[in-house]
Amino acid sequence: MAELRENEIRILAALDKLDGKASTEKLMLEVELPDAAVMRSALILQEKNFVNVHAKPETKIKLTPEGEIHAENGLPERRVINAVIALGGKANLKQAVQEAGLEPQFAQIALGWTQRKKWATFDSKNSMLQVSSAPKEGNDEKLLNALCGKEEIPMDKLSQELQAAVDMLKKRKAIIVEDKTNRILELTKIGKQAAEESSLTVMVGKKEVTQLTPELIITGNWRNVNFQKYNIEAPVANVWPGKKHPYLSFLDEVRAKLVTLGFKEMTGTSVETAFFNFDALYTPQDHPARELDGIYMVKNPEYGDISAYAKAAEKVKATHENGGATGSTGWGYKYSLQEARRLILRGHGTCLSARTMVNKGLQVPSKHFSIARVYRPEVVDKTHLSEFNQVEGIVVDEKLNLRDLLGVLGKFAKEIAGADKIRFKPDYFPFTEPSVELSAYKEGFGWVEFGGSGIFRPEVTEPLGVKVPVIAWGLGVDRLFMMRAGMDDIRCIFSQNLDWLRRKEVA
Amino acid sequence: MPTIDLDYNELERLLGVKVNGDMEKLDDILSYVKSEVKLYDKNAGTVNIEFKDTNRPDLWSVEGLARALRGYLGIEKGLKQYSSCEPIIEINVDKQLRDIRPFICCSIIKDAKLNDSSIRGLMHLQDKLDKTYGRSRQKTSIGIYDFDLITPPLSYAVAKPSEFSFVPLGFTEKMTLSEILERHPKGLEYGHIVKKYPVYPILLDAEQKVLSFPPIINSNDLGRVTEEAHNLLVEVTGTLHQTVLNTLNLVTVSLIEQGGKAYATTIHYPDDPIYPAKKVVTPNFKNRSMNLSVDYTNKILGLQLTGKRIAELLLTAGFNIGTTGEKTIEALVPCYRIDIMHPIDLVEDVAVAYGYNNIEPLWRDLATTGSAKPERRFIDLARELMVGAGYQEILTYTLSNPDSLFTKMNCEKTDVVEVVNPKLVTMTCLRNWLLPGLMEFLSNNQSVEFPQKIFELGKVTFIDDTCETKTRDEEWLAVATSHVNAGFSEIKSVLDAFFMNLGVPWKINAGSHPSFIEGRMGAVIVNGVNVGVLGEVNPQVLETWKLENPTAVFEINMQQIVDGKM
Repeated sequence: MAELRENEIRILAALDKLDGKASTEKLMLEVELPDAAVMRSALILQEKNFVNVHAKPETKIKLTPEGEIHAENGLPERRVINAVIALGGKANLKQAVQEAGLEPQFAQIALGWTQRKKWATFDSKNSMLQVSSAPKEGNDEKLLNALCGKEEIPMDKLSQELQAAVDMLKKRKAIIVEDKTNRILELTKIGKQAAEESSLTVMVGKKEVTQLTPELIITGNWRNVNFQKYNIEAPVANVWPGKKHPYLSFLDEVRAKLVTLGFKEMTGTSVETAFFNFDALYTPQDHPARELDGIYMVKNPEYGDISAYAKAAEKVKATHENGGATGSTGWGYKYSLQEARRLILRGHGTCLSARTMVNKGLQVPSKHFSIARVYRPEVVDKTHLSEFNQVEGIVVDEKLNLRDLLGVLGKFAKEIAGADKIRFKPDYFPFTEPSVELSAYKEGFGWVEFGGSGIFRPEVTEPLGVKVPVIAWGLGVDRLFMMRAGMDDIRCIFSQNLDWLRRKEVA
Repeated sequence: MPTIDLDYNELERLLGVKVNGDMEKLDDILSYVKSEVKLYDKNAGTVNIEFKDTNRPDLWSVEGLARALRGYLGIEKGLKQYSSCEPIIEINVDKQLRDIRPFICCSIIKDAKLNDSSIRGLMHLQDKLDKTYGRSRQKTSIGIYDFDLITPPLSYAVAKPSEFSFVPLGFTEKMTLSEILERHPKGLEYGHIVKKYPVYPILLDAEQKVLSFPPIINSNDLGRVTEEAHNLLVEVTGTLHQTVLNTLNLVTVSLIEQGGKAYATTIHYPDDPIYPAKKVVTPNFKNRSMNLSVDYTNKILGLQLTGKRIAELLLTAGFNIGTTGEKTIEALVPCYRIDIMHPIDLVEDVAVAYGYNNIEPLWRDLATTGSAKPERRFIDLARELMVGAGYQEILTYTLSNPDSLFTKMNCEKTDVVEVVNPKLVTMTCLRNWLLPGLMEFLSNNQSVEFPQKIFELGKVTFIDDTCETKTRDEEWLAVATSHVNAGFSEIKSVLDAFFMNLGVPWKINAGSHPSFIEGRMGAVIVNGVNVGVLGEVNPQVLETWKLENPTAVFEINMQQIVDGKM
């Protein structure tokens, strides 16, 4: 004979009493056990072939608290229409609402629905509603009537026309639709025998426990109990481990790679002088990138201090105006030292390279990089952000040439992008010449523009006091990250979606 | 970056290469001049091309683009020499223009065979030159007229804004110059360039008929170019002589390419050292000479090219060669290559002609030691501790707005770094604390499963007169826990564990802060210095951000703690 727990025995007895067949709900009341306990016992009894469980899905409709008000008093639009009719077929909205005794939170809703249902014309100038005749009762109203005073109605008991109104009322949050599964337990032949055997009650062997407690362990009583078996396939609660942000983790990785390759991190402030962001990089003061739609201007304070770089600034001025000592023609305009001090939100990370170069302690050879938040007054969309991160840097050495530049880019493509193939194209930056664009090919992704680079123009290095060639490079890390993360919207980098962050794989 | 619409068939014809609508093939060709196809409109027969190099206006017409590419395609080597006939008209310049818009250059094109497409191309080029190279007409602006309607000589003069009037292009009634600035669309757009002067520039013919009011608008009578015009007058005014001349050369050359014949103009300037001479003849298609050292070229490129080879590559890139020596090559730079400022520009063109992908990359192991910024390690440890405590790291914008930073946090406004030109009302200033960003994040996730535990370690910015940029950035850390039972003791436990693991002794002092519940917050003290706040968020603040769960937070100045540890 099988061993049964007390709960199962009680359920068998109850089923027997109820003519061998009952729903779980009925059984809950009969044996005074919670839903979960009845279900658990039902599963055990089913396993032992004592009962058959019939599952029957059912959809039920219930009124919400708001729906109850409408079922009781009529829909707000109906109440307003009735009021307008009572007021002679034409009335001010406010007046009608008052006449109808309508709760204030429903006034706008009521107006909206009178229009949507075309029950009345509304003149927004003087807020007048006009009704020609009482509209006939709609399906939604019929359904509300049917539900009025009832706990719930099964969906399949509704006529077709009332079913049609379900969606509409659901959207209005007047009803809720619940999918439920009804389970009916039916005694099998052997179940019935078991229930009738008086010996059943004494079949209980060791006591069965759900929870192993410290007490059971300490007293050693765990030896005298059976542990209830769990349904190990049942779903469990979610755990959301703390995680680093996927994009910041990616930048951490890039940083670590660059450090391994011998690069030293440069830092600076988000607010920068136009001198380092533009002038020192040979961008003329009337360049379109310096206009209001190219760079964020700081409202207050307006001007920074570049007095520590007075000598360099004089040379930059001469270079812009007529080439200075660089052998260039220059831009041929009148340079303003005041404009050089203008404060802006840095538009690229290259200003940090300019600051590094002007520093008297610049070592030869040396390699530097920065991961900088930069700002552009762009309208934010799928491919543009108003602020984003740039990974940039320089390589300083006496012997550097274009071959080194291609070598540096090739190294990045392999180490950081994991590229299979690379390709170079001529590129343009105001501050480098020659300039090179790097595309990296990765199986499954195709060609991706991954970086821009060049050798700083003599008009950049010489005024800053740098006598050796300097390679400047920048990497399109955002694009690389998006490619890796399988995203096509750059705004995802600053995602406000906690669920996405929680579910994003770390690998 | 400038983008230009070009006639596709015309481009293919001038290139002498069948592209057959293969845009990848066209892109490959265009890469020589740093440009690419943005859009190919098969029906309209146009191709929209984006140019990365803002200093190459010589490429912004179908003839100019083809001229540059034919060299790289091996069809035509060297530069294209243009010429103009002897001057046929004169222009007198008023000395009062000296500080307003002193320079003018002019040319006449006879027998220009204009059609609908070429007029559109011309207008497009004019517009792009005005906008980019002319810096929105500030530096230069172009005017084109039907020459046969004009009676020379011309005078480039000044007029009083409220007294002088004429009918501007697109209008039917006479307007004074002031009225044009107030009412004409172009006046509204460009008026700021002349508004500050007592008199405005005006261009008149011998019968005192108005050609234009530079740099604002042409006259309706003389300043309209149609297909019927056989002979054109092109004029450029501006603030820098070389730029004005370059612009005139570019437009004139483009019209010569369309079959026109150019005639020069004599400009009579006042006796003043700002002018290149008292008498200047324009256009001027003279080539510039620039010497390129063979050693310098090889040093920059890492190659061993002979002088002869460099000369060949320069021809491919569209230059002519003067004398070629072993050590130095004389390059002749055409008038339309205004981008050539320094021999380095020639070196790049040599490299492009040689082919970047024919150069072998070289990785040199330089003896340098890499390192992250010194505080990085500490910051990473802090992030790891927060992750270990079960908190999700988030990343938000540093651009914020006073409403979020102060009003919604129930705080008094303090000075923050605001920008003059915000694009969005939500991004008008740099944040000076992180908590508002966390509140916004939580507020956007009210339907996501609770408890919600988040943190951000990022930069905040303060105004600081002692710094070069008058501002100071600091790394701060903000942490929030939000759920039914979130509270003071929970968040205090977290900060306790955080500081214990970093080896930082701390204490909490009673305080008050309008963003927090009175009596359930405190100031975080490290080494006797206030470094932050900790507490339960004021329900007033929760309500404003539409947060439905109790929320406890702390925000600390990591910079100060890092600096103390280093």
